[in-house]
Amino acid sequence: MDLNHTPEDIAFRKQVRAWLEQNLPPAPLRSLEERKVWHRKLYEAGYLGMGWPKEYGGQGARPMEQAIVADEMARSGAPAPTNGLGLGIVGPTIVVHGNEWQKKRYLQKILTAEEMWCQLYSEPNSGSDLASLKTSAEDKGDHFVVNGQKIWTSGGKVADWGLLLARTDPKVAKHKGITCFLMPMRQPGVEVRPLKQMTGSSEFCEVFMTGARVEKENQIGRLGEGWGIANTTLGYERGGRSLARISGYSAQYNHLVNAARRLKRQGRPLIESPTVRQRLAKIWADLEVERYNALRVLTQLERGEHPGAGGSLTKLSYSEFEKRFMEVAQEILGAYGQLTDGAPPELALEIDTAVGDQGTWAYAFLWSRAGTIYAGSSEIQKNVIGERILGLPKETRADRAGATR
Amino acid sequence: MNFAFSDDQTLLRNSARALLDEHCKPEHVRAMQEDARGYGEALWGEMAKLGWLGLPFPEQYGGAGLGLVELALLHEEMGRVAYPGPFLATVVLGGLPLLLGGSAAQKEKWLPAIASGRARLTAALQEDSLDWDPASIAATAERAGAGWTISGVKRFVPWAEAADAVLVPARTPEGVSLFLIDPKAAGVTLRPTIGMDLTTRWSEITLGGVAVGADALVGPAGGGGALLDSALRRAAVCASAEMLGTARRCLDMAVGYAKVREQFGQLIGTFQAIRHKCAEMLMEVENSHSAVYYAAWALEAGADDASVAASICKSYVSDAARRVCGEAIQVHGGIGFTWEYDLHLYFKRAKSLEVQFGDAEYHRELIAKHVASS
Repeated sequence: MDLNHTPEDIAFRKQVRAWLEQNLPPAPLRSLEERKVWHRKLYEAGYLGMGWPKEYGGQGARPMEQAIVADEMARSGAPAPTNGLGLGIVGPTIVVHGNEWQKKRYLQKILTAEEMWCQLYSEPNSGSDLASLKTSAEDKGDHFVVNGQKIWTSGGKVADWGLLLARTDPKVAKHKGITCFLMPMRQPGVEVRPLKQMTGSSEFCEVFMTGARVEKENQIGRLGEGWGIANTTLGYERGGRSLARISGYSAQYNHLVNAARRLKRQGRPLIESPTVRQRLAKIWADLEVERYNALRVLTQLERGEHPGAGGSLTKLSYSEFEKRFMEVAQEILGAYGQLTDGAPPELALEIDTAVGDQGTWAYAFLWSRAGTIYAGSSEIQKNVIGERILGLPKETRADRAGATR
Repeated sequence: MNFAFSDDQTLLRNSARALLDEHCKPEHVRAMQEDARGYGEALWGEMAKLGWLGLPFPEQYGGAGLGLVELALLHEEMGRVAYPGPFLATVVLGGLPLLLGGSAAQKEKWLPAIASGRARLTAALQEDSLDWDPASIAATAERAGAGWTISGVKRFVPWAEAADAVLVPARTPEGVSLFLIDPKAAGVTLRPTIGMDLTTRWSEITLGGVAVGADALVGPAGGGGALLDSALRRAAVCASAEMLGTARRCLDMAVGYAKVREQFGQLIGTFQAIRHKCAEMLMEVENSHSAVYYAAWALEAGADDASVAASICKSYVSDAARRVCGEAIQVHGGIGFTWEYDLHLYFKRAKSLEVQFGDAEYHRELIAKHVASS
């Protein structure tokens, strides 16, 4: 056990930091075009798709190097690259499960953001029970025809392509009749509508598919193997952003401590109140524990071990932490914490939101409710932990056998 | 950066588990609860042979020259079996302050004796107020000729009855100073107290003008506060490691029980009410592992955040171990509440360690000082 960073990693961090200092956009990026320009700059510096194989435009970099880049970006307040789903989910899926033609055709264009991607998994009636999805893909000889509706599609508005899960065999057990496809979004059979969330913003969309066409060459893996592919997909994002996530929390925490110095109750600064101190200290302890956890995950990845179901523990822990953190932040900030506009600068929060707007404490608080729902709710994660790590018996489920319709 | 145990560390843990599984079964723990001394000499001798008693001391004192990560590993394994005995008291509370601040003669006299299993030590860190802040020490040491006269009352001194020497902080004109006293010396009165955790022995020590020589002073006069601070941080991490061990044991027992216990015609582990509880327990156990070994490494490596890491560790694990051990009782239902079932051994050990070396609230205030000043 040695938690000191290696000289190589320290040197690499310095190099990334220097690059960011020179290349950071001077003003917040407002348009998609501006974001794409920044994205390409990151790519050309070798900071995107770092873990992907070199022959498809990646860097073959170590997990620690990827984590350092993301972390330095978070620390410097750099805007995120665009095409997040392409980089985080679609690309790794194609790297692992795609054929040679698919890798050559799609990976590079994800990295350059020439083609933007979204993920078409959840449906209105298939959330936690994703395997019950109803969107169908019918074999028409040289292509598939897709009908159905998807929801919670991030970046659907700007996507050129979507990674789709659709049912190709309704007669077999629900987990066995699903296939994975790459579907062009810009076609007459696909309609995208923004979904307004409780945050007031629209990071997500609904996607309606009516006779949409998918070529045979765009099927990923074999027929009926989509469920297994989807399950590995959900595990990809666990390591790369681990340190960056913590640095983001730390920056927010420092803002909160400053706010606790300014605000008063009963004539005393909040920072002197024993109960506030206890709450702030508890959050700092939990935040640091998440940082230690991130170091553990990175250690596993560096050793070439896949965290597997351990990813469920990590996700459960940090997403539940984020909710507790934001609740304490609201308690301290009071009405200031609820402002979506017009907060005095010293009590405002400057974070880059998922849609690229400057964030507020109110937005961060509301958004923290999403983390324990998306990518497998806390309840689903606990089922996974119980069954796959602790080896507890599976529950009796009414849908275990039989077809979906 | 590597957060995984080395091969040697894994070997140490495996050999500790093997020895304790064989020599510290629940029957042994229960027998020691009834025993006058409260711990087994045979097991103490085994620990000396394996080098555990001198683990953190340099080789010149008969030690193994290992660090706090290894020491935490041993404590986790001891917590896992609710090991009854003065290991933490001797090695951490007694040995480490001597190693850090003792004179050459003091180290020469005591460290090899500890390492070989001949001597047991402890430290008297608490007084009536139960404040862990060294600044709160009320016991006094007055100069008397070349030596000192020490007076005061110490509470909850672990394993004092077994100890050959006790480290005692007392107030001198220079500030808080640390003295090494013989518990059998004239003027020292020991009164055993009985807590709910029968695997740990506590005594009250009354010091009625105890005369000690100049050589009883550990470190410089007035330098006791700094020594105590660093000893407390190390003890807090080792106690946390023990609590982590109790929590792991309770989680294992709860999961094991959920796999065999049937109600309503099903294994109770199939119910989400039970499974989700177990998943939350595992999350707290794994987070505790992160907190314990990060802090152990940070203290050993002298990392910038070592002090606050120790407080993060003790505050997190104190809460987590209490919850996990308690929830294990809940998963078991009635059987978990009986004396004959072993769960309460670990539950009580966790509870007794929770209040030692600063509870969660105490350490959270230290964390608050850290974040408010940075």
